[in-house]
Amino acid sequence: MSLWRIAWGYLWNRKLTTSLTVLSVALSVGLIYSVLTLREETRKRFKEEGQFFDVVVGAKGSPLQLTLSALYFMDVPTGNIKLSDYEAIKKHEDVAAAYPICMGDTYHGYRMVGTIPELFDYTWTRASTGEERKPFKLAQGSVFKKSMEAVLGSAVARTEGLKLGDTFIGAHGYIELPPGMAVEDHSKFPYTVAGIMAPSGTPNDRAIFCTMDSVWEVHGQHEEAESQQEGERQKEASSMVTAVLVSLESPALSFEFVEYVNDTFNAMATRPIEQIAKLYDSILATAKSVLLAVGYLVVAISAISILIGLYLSIIQRKRDLAIMRALGASAYEIVGSVLIEAFLVTALGIVAGWLIGNLVAWTVGLYLQYRYGLTIGIFGMLTTEEIAAFSTVGLVGFVAGIVPAWQAYRTDVARDLAEP
Amino acid sequence: MVKMENCRRRLGPGVEFFCEQFEAPAGAQMALWGPSGCGKTTMLNLISGLLRPDEGLISVDGVETPKLSEGQLDRFRGERFGFIFQTFNLLAPFSALQNVMLGMRFSDTAPSSEWKPRATALLQRVGLERRLHSKPATMSVGERQRVAIARALANKQKIVVADEPTGSLDPKNAAAVMDLLLEMCREEKVTLLLVTHAHELAECLETCFDCSALIREVSS
Repeated sequence: MSLWRIAWGYLWNRKLTTSLTVLSVALSVGLIYSVLTLREETRKRFKEEGQFFDVVVGAKGSPLQLTLSALYFMDVPTGNIKLSDYEAIKKHEDVAAAYPICMGDTYHGYRMVGTIPELFDYTWTRASTGEERKPFKLAQGSVFKKSMEAVLGSAVARTEGLKLGDTFIGAHGYIELPPGMAVEDHSKFPYTVAGIMAPSGTPNDRAIFCTMDSVWEVHGQHEEAESQQEGERQKEASSMVTAVLVSLESPALSFEFVEYVNDTFNAMATRPIEQIAKLYDSILATAKSVLLAVGYLVVAISAISILIGLYLSIIQRKRDLAIMRALGASAYEIVGSVLIEAFLVTALGIVAGWLIGNLVAWTVGLYLQYRYGLTIGIFGMLTTEEIAAFSTVGLVGFVAGIVPAWQAYRTDVARDLAEP
Repeated sequence: MVKMENCRRRLGPGVEFFCEQFEAPAGAQMALWGPSGCGKTTMLNLISGLLRPDEGLISVDGVETPKLSEGQLDRFRGERFGFIFQTFNLLAPFSALQNVMLGMRFSDTAPSSEWKPRATALLQRVGLERRLHSKPATMSVGERQRVAIARALANKQKIVVADEPTGSLDPKNAAAVMDLLLEMCREEKVTLLLVTHAHELAECLETCFDCSALIREVSS
């Protein structure tokens, strides 16, 4: 009969109270853990996406908007740049590979991206480890060979139920309209599914790739139906691209290359990794701080509930403590058993909170995957921040046990035994 | 075995416990008799070290207990004394077996490997071999008091102090429990100090100490 067994016996004897206290600790830990996990996992995923290309070139405007629209398909593009600018960039001695992308249409909210077939051969190598990844890997079919053929991201094929050989029609613009609302579609230009990509856990899963000709052709037809002035503008658009994704011979050249593009062309170059870091340091860091503050507030409330739960339990069993003293238990053994109770409640709360946190992260991850193509890893190794958070909760639980333990230490054995 | 001389303990404004002379030899079975509120329980608490005297001598098994530190007194009490209470005072979360083992856990009288066999043997001796794993709440009052007797003897204690041990039992159970207690104390050669206000119960024991004049008024 160790003190642990005695402490556990008392916790088990009041299962409901113990469960509720554990639950309150678990909820606070779960909140903190899910905030930290989601923040860390999204940061990792965004950072990884940002690393696939060293530089993104697009129309002048917001560098963050350019990064989000060209790599994450999340925002409206900043505009277009000349096709000739892309060709010049591609020929630059520092450029290992450059891929043009054209955007303008969507299919049920999925971004349609005109590009060149070579993009599907692109392999990204992590400089530090030499690890290789193919973010545009095909799972079925082939790359588009001609105009109006499309390669679907894995999530598009799955959610829309599209298979190889199926046809679909895109709609003009970037905004996902509610069902039933009229959209300007291109019904005379159906796309045929030529290939389906392997799941990559990136925004590519939620994109549709086709030739640049397809995008131009659809909008060229559009021109016929509109005024002469509008037609001229569309014709001009056919010689433009929305952005260029650039991989350099070395990431270290990116600073110099960005300067070169900004000075030479009527365009803007940016380092995506830098934009993502800024985004995290500004908006998301604030959001994380607010959520963490809420989490720690819940921890404080849980600590009070541990304190109240244990204190009431000590009051209720003063006679039991007196009996143990009469049996020869020292005051320190009594204090030890109460502190062990506090520790067990907190430890169980932390474990349950860790499970709840992973469950929340997994659920939110499903939404992020559906909405943005981001995958969230769960049950991963604990980060330093998470270990620090768990330690804080453990310490708070221990401190909450001190007051009831002190109360137990001050047991007046003869008086408590005499009480009915 | 137990000796008390000129022992004084203040109980409240103008009231104190005072015992001029008390002695119980080893192996004695002695009743501490007196009406309710006469100081019998205070005397037991002083002897067992649950209360400390303001002055006077208390000696148990050759040790002057008031001179022991709090920790030493806890250990001494666990090793030498067994307690039996009117309301049994078993610990509700634990089984009969665990309650008896708890009596051994807080003293160094036996290695942990012997706790379970000894507790089992004692519970068999008091006729509870089929109730080893029962919780107190599921046992009858007579069964609970038998567990308390087994617990009081778990450490091969030298003294058992019993405070109205049959007070909560019906006459039939009371007689059975009393017989068992006396018999087991004889078997284990234990000194028994039994507090009671009932003459008939006091007469069952070899000797009787009259506690009716232990509380007195003093000028505050």
